[in-house]
Amino acid sequence: MIALAAPADEQLASPLGRTSPLVKLGIALGWLLGLVLTLDPRPPLILVALAVGAGLVLGRIPARRLAAGLLPLWSVALGIGVFNALFSGTNVDPTLAEFARLGPFRVTEQAVANGVAIALRVLTIAAVGVVFGLTTDSTRLVDALVQQGRLPERFGYGALAAYQAIPRLAEALTTLRQARRIRGLRTSWHPSILVGLLVLAIRHGDRLALAMDARAFGAGPRSRYREVRWTILDGVVGLAAIVALVAALAIGTA
Amino acid sequence: MTVPVPVGRPATIEAEAIGFQYAGRPRPAFADVSFRLEPGECLLVVGPSGSGKSSLALAIAGLIPREFPGRWRGRLRVAGLDPTTAEATAVAARVGIVFQDPASQLVMDRVEDDVAFGLENLGWPPAAMRTRVPEALEAVGLAGFERRRSTTLSGGEQQRLALAGVLAPRPGILVLDEPTANLDPPGARAFAERLAALRGRRAATIVLVEHRVELAWPLADWILALGDDGRPMEFGRPAEVLARSAERLARAGIWLPGEEARIAAASATLAPGGRDGRLPTGPAVVEARDVGYSYDRRTAALRSVSLAVGAGERVALVGPNGSGKSTLGRLLVGLLRPTAGSIRLAGSERSGQPPADPARLPAAELARRAGYVFQDPEQQFLTSRVADEVMVGLGPAERAAAAELMDRIGLPLSEFGDRSPYTLSGGEQRRLSLACALVRRPALLVLDEPTFGQDRRGYEALLAILGERLEAGCAVLAATHDERFVADFAGRVVRLEGGRLVDDRIVPAARPTLDAGLPAAGAARRPATAEPRPATAEPRAAIAEPRSRPSEEG
Repeated sequence: MIALAAPADEQLASPLGRTSPLVKLGIALGWLLGLVLTLDPRPPLILVALAVGAGLVLGRIPARRLAAGLLPLWSVALGIGVFNALFSGTNVDPTLAEFARLGPFRVTEQAVANGVAIALRVLTIAAVGVVFGLTTDSTRLVDALVQQGRLPERFGYGALAAYQAIPRLAEALTTLRQARRIRGLRTSWHPSILVGLLVLAIRHGDRLALAMDARAFGAGPRSRYREVRWTILDGVVGLAAIVALVAALAIGTA
Repeated sequence: MTVPVPVGRPATIEAEAIGFQYAGRPRPAFADVSFRLEPGECLLVVGPSGSGKSSLALAIAGLIPREFPGRWRGRLRVAGLDPTTAEATAVAARVGIVFQDPASQLVMDRVEDDVAFGLENLGWPPAAMRTRVPEALEAVGLAGFERRRSTTLSGGEQQRLALAGVLAPRPGILVLDEPTANLDPPGARAFAERLAALRGRRAATIVLVEHRVELAWPLADWILALGDDGRPMEFGRPAEVLARSAERLARAGIWLPGEEARIAAASATLAPGGRDGRLPTGPAVVEARDVGYSYDRRTAALRSVSLAVGAGERVALVGPNGSGKSTLGRLLVGLLRPTAGSIRLAGSERSGQPPADPARLPAAELARRAGYVFQDPEQQFLTSRVADEVMVGLGPAERAAAAELMDRIGLPLSEFGDRSPYTLSGGEQRRLSLACALVRRPALLVLDEPTFGQDRRGYEALLAILGERLEAGCAVLAATHDERFVADFAGRVVRLEGGRLVDDRIVPAARPTLDAGLPAAGAARRPATAEPRPATAEPRAAIAEPRSRPSEEG
């Protein structure tokens, strides 16, 4: 059956696992914005190396697990880069230097540089995202968003409950397609499958909301079973990430 | 921080002529319901499917009318509060409700967080939560499960977790709406044991809606029976109700106790094993050879299963949750392709085609050869009207037969044709999905838990229709947890455990129940016990006329 990848207890107990999810989210966002400032390939490469290293050392993620999470995303990054190089608008500009000619296609140096820059950025996002996902418990993420990030409780815990339903909906989709086949209908992607899935999702949501309301959710002030507090670790990790970004950008412009 | 409401003692429930009509529905879901429950008593609510049992449960838990548009009548007092006007927090602190489907009431990823969820909402101080969460888990037999993820638990464990979450705030009243409907027999029994312990300690006043009579009746201090119109048919002590109205209640489609001995006797008559899944002689409608299947390449859901089923055979596929019953069923009808071994499905008489691998048949041909009814009816509806649903892909001749079939299973198109399949009650949905599979008269019919949530009438209609199809040479294979259904239906019992076929037994004598068309044959149904059970000796519901019914009794 389908199960969502969930971080193991060892990663959750690691320094990166104990860092507030909000700090990690902030790092992801900050690095992403920082990379917009440069087209140089070195800063993103440095940050990818740092993210992977931090995941392995500070997050105690087993190398195989990290690789399994990264591989599909990195092939996506490669695909996006190649696509951007091949179909760049600069390829039709005769004044730009030619990098390669593939039959009728002309690829300029400018286009290749763009493609590489975009691919590297996607690569960085993928690395940071996978390390984040493999060291962050969904419950702790929502606790942090609600307690430290002032996210409305109704939205935060509602989203968390909905997230638990994803594997169930994936199974429902399989069943709906099988139900079409056994009734003599072709199982190609017919809109009615999506309608059926939507109906199921809404009904599941209704039931869940009812069960949550029956347990007094959203009715008054809540207390907290798990307090999320800012720690020194959060400060250290956050500061290190800022230093890393600034250093990477400095190397890029040097 | 708010101080927890002082609760923990069982409380009183008083209902005076309460009723509720959902907006847009022609008649009330339930009406004129009156009763009084003293602290610590247990009320069992019974009734045919669609009689408003779940709606009544929601009302006692304060969710109707708060969360549903419609018209409320009467006066209700729950633990001294009027739940129709009281604050949601106040009601939730006094009343807990457990629903049918465990997966749609678990909110948090980790077990302990889920138990704490209700306490947090009520503003319990953190220190009190830390002592209460393990206590609540202990009370349902899940001590030590704190750090587990709720998605990794079995259905039975999830339902006990839901119970722990509801019990944690120590509600004085506990409402349970078919809490064991989705569980296998061991899971249901474990749940019932926990419930019996609560009832034994009189820890809470309990309102229980439950189809499994053998679990529910021993717990009940009072019985409330609702009729098709949502109005009370009977209210009283269990023994009184049985003595006074057993016949009337059975005719209304309500399950009554007293057949446990017969069911146990039936399972004791199974011939010893010795068959290995292969047919002794004759052509097979479907034959699986050394079939294996794995969903994720690492763990096998099914290993080297060989099974041949002949025309007219009625096979019950039994085994615990996760033993591979549904997987085998889907493989046999070509909805999954085996990762090892092979499957041959015979051609239908009409098509006159040779046996083939069902997974490679075009959908239209597959649908002529095999029918499949999924466990969750809601996951198989393809249209938004009952009439369209049963007619999907049918020719004109089959359409007339479809209308007749719908009359017979108690869903006449004149009344139900324009409704949405999703607005039917659970039992009605299941009968609709059965009609959708039967309407093409396939040579092989595979059913996944066909009797879940069926009332007596739906159950008997199912047996009658299956009996007819079997006589016409259809092979029927049903994956089921329902011991009663195995006793009434099966001519052969195949057991799966851990993805392997571990046992294959035939029932020595043909079951009189199906051969007589219906289980109405009095002699076969008379209990060995001396309990009063006039229920078995009355004429069956009119929706399913038997072919050769014995003369009217009772």
